[in-house]
Amino acid sequence: MMKVLFVCSGGMSSAIVVSALKKEGAKQGIDIEVLAVGSQEFDAEVRNGWDVAMVAPQVKHRFDGFKESADDAGVPCEAIPAQAYSPLGGPKLLKLVTELAKL
Amino acid sequence: MDKFVAFLENNLSTPMAKLSEQKHLRAIRDGVVSALPFIIFGSLFLIIAFPPVAADSAVGEWAAKHIAEILIPYRLTMFIMTLYITFGIGYSLSQSYKLDPLSGGLLSLAAFLFTIGVKMMDGVGFVLPMTNLGGHGLFVGMLVSIFAVEILRLCKTKNITIKMPDSVPTSVARSFEALIPVTIVLLVMTVITVVFGVDMHSLVDKAVAPLISAGDTLPGVLVPVFLITFFWSFGIHGVSVVGAVARPVWEVYLANNSAAVAAGKAIPHIAPETFFQWFIWIGGSGATLGLVIAMLLTAKSSYSKAMGKATIVPSIFNINEPVIFGMPIVLNPVLIIPFIITPLIGATLAYVATSMGLVNPTYVMVPWTLPAPIGAYLSTGGDWRAIVLVMVNLTISVIIYLPFFKMYDKKLLAQETSVETTDNKKIAL
Repeated sequence: MMKVLFVCSGGMSSAIVVSALKKEGAKQGIDIEVLAVGSQEFDAEVRNGWDVAMVAPQVKHRFDGFKESADDAGVPCEAIPAQAYSPLGGPKLLKLVTELAKL
Repeated sequence: MDKFVAFLENNLSTPMAKLSEQKHLRAIRDGVVSALPFIIFGSLFLIIAFPPVAADSAVGEWAAKHIAEILIPYRLTMFIMTLYITFGIGYSLSQSYKLDPLSGGLLSLAAFLFTIGVKMMDGVGFVLPMTNLGGHGLFVGMLVSIFAVEILRLCKTKNITIKMPDSVPTSVARSFEALIPVTIVLLVMTVITVVFGVDMHSLVDKAVAPLISAGDTLPGVLVPVFLITFFWSFGIHGVSVVGAVARPVWEVYLANNSAAVAAGKAIPHIAPETFFQWFIWIGGSGATLGLVIAMLLTAKSSYSKAMGKATIVPSIFNINEPVIFGMPIVLNPVLIIPFIITPLIGATLAYVATSMGLVNPTYVMVPWTLPAPIGAYLSTGGDWRAIVLVMVNLTISVIIYLPFFKMYDKKLLAQETSVETTDNKKIAL
């Protein structure tokens, strides 16, 4: 079971990407728990035992702040490349997330 | 071209976006955002008080008779929004400094109340006049919360505090810790507003008056519209960047408009944030619902066909990151052109229509995830002509996006067929 936390501006758009990731995970038989939060909730939420934190591309200018919170919590944190942030980007995203979780 | 784009990204959009992450700007943005649920709740009662029905119908007569009572929930939320926002700003700013956020929020709130002034009313007792607690006092609220939290921080970093012995429980010790900054902040506020009798609100009003009138002109609308799509063209959340600076002004417009309606006066402003949301950002920033419709109508490549189907539903609810990053529009010269042009045209049309009185100005805030025609109808207090304006702007956006999309789709199709001929059945994503 892999626990992935997403952060975007309001937690809305990443919800769509989240469902793409879940679908791809189910296809490949990987059990994933995903939650999408808005930027304000991230600092508190990232401390709740996540394996990976992913930052949506539209808030990449706030990446340093998110990374700081994630480092505090000891969670690996990475920005999502723009091409993977799409309803059809599931496979790419899953690959990225599983690689990051192994670190 | 790529070099030019990289130049813009590294020298313009990223530094500007970083600027919006400046601690005070971010605290103001987060403070305003934290009050939005209250503003939305309160503004809905404006629709009940002024229902979109004939004045002599049963509902219309009932509303007119009970208007004061119906507006009470509005008066206690949206009408005094700055009270909530001030706490939110103080809370967020102290949090970003890693100070006790509750102390920061409360101290900001207290400092703001000192600018209001207490009045004595016969038969009622002491009262706080509500006018400056609303959007009217927003800029003062911003200033005093920043002042309050900075003093709090100064006391913390310079270690100006009352030290309690270790045997004292931490919660008690903390309340004493805040005592010195609270005293400093509130004494300063007392000297300014009570001893010297300075009305901070009228001073700040004069200072921000040019800004308030500039934001309500056609250029004042077009500049933020352009900047928002400009940032998105580099994949940066434009509204969150531009809004950090512009949102206080937009909130003042909304507050003034709603207060005017509640008082039965003419609506003063064209351009609160609701104007942008419902008439311009149809389907999200860049009015991309038009692009998705163009995709559904004419897509030839299998990628565009799949994207059109996957993004139409979120687009109806104004969620368009999947379109912006999926197509992509980001760093895609062909689609960036209509992405920037369409909202500018929509904005001009909506501005002219509103200023000519063809459509009511917006004064009700409803959740931004409503489909545009419904959102526009509600936020204009139930003006059916707002739906017509949305439909006209939507049609225009489809027409503008169409040729650019076809051009891009042709390229995608060519890529797909060349990939297939090299016997790779997988579509390059």
